Amino acid sequence: MNIYTFSDIYEGLEESFDVTITSDMMDKFLDISNDTNPLHVDVNYAKEKGFKDRVVYGLLTSSFYSTLAGVYLPGKYCILQGLDIQFSKPVFIGDILTISGKVKYINQSYKQLEIKAIIRNQNNEKVSKATIKAGLMDE
Amino acid sequence: MTREEIFNKVQDIFRDIFDEDDLVITDSSSSDDVEDWDSLNHINLVSAIEKEFKIRFALGELQSLKDVGAMIDLMVQKIA
Repeated sequence: MNIYTFSDIYEGLEESFDVTITSDMMDKFLDISNDTNPLHVDVNYAKEKGFKDRVVYGLLTSSFYSTLAGVYLPGKYCILQGLDIQFSKPVFIGDILTISGKVKYINQSYKQLEIKAIIRNQNNEKVSKATIKAGLMDE
Repeated sequence: MTREEIFNKVQDIFRDIFDEDDLVITDSSSSDDVEDWDSLNHINLVSAIEKEFKIRFALGELQSLKDVGAMIDLMVQKIA
């Protein structure tokens, strides 16, 4: 886990990490959310709708924005204050996602970071983007 | 930029942050007058104003502001 303090942070600071999506993750997300929409749980239905496999929950992949802020940027002293997400492409089981974020703005008075974040798949396609607002609790 | 121009832009920022297209602020408006003006939206307001007007506030300056009018007056000084 990264332990950036407020004075370590600068505009342009970047962090990233990779995750492989598994069917176990889908099962766990279903268990937590009870989102039984067939697009996520029924491969035949997903194929009928033109997808190659069942579609991974958008909020499962977006949970990695939480990881980006809470573990990588800024890490330990993060308190998540806002998240604005847009989805652009479907994600499937087996996809390898790269979650990256860059500090775009720092509110010096209230120690809040605005992080522009992107998730890309193994083909370098952008599957979603987000603006993260995160406070720092270090001092 | 005149005080009135600054005020009108700030009003647009308030409407955006609080999702109220017809929100009207005055010089005497404060957090007591806008239901959703909590601590997180206050940070959002300050960030939006800093980015829109390309200015920066110090925490001490912000803590001494009693209402919107005082904030606009401070902005007029910074933008001048």
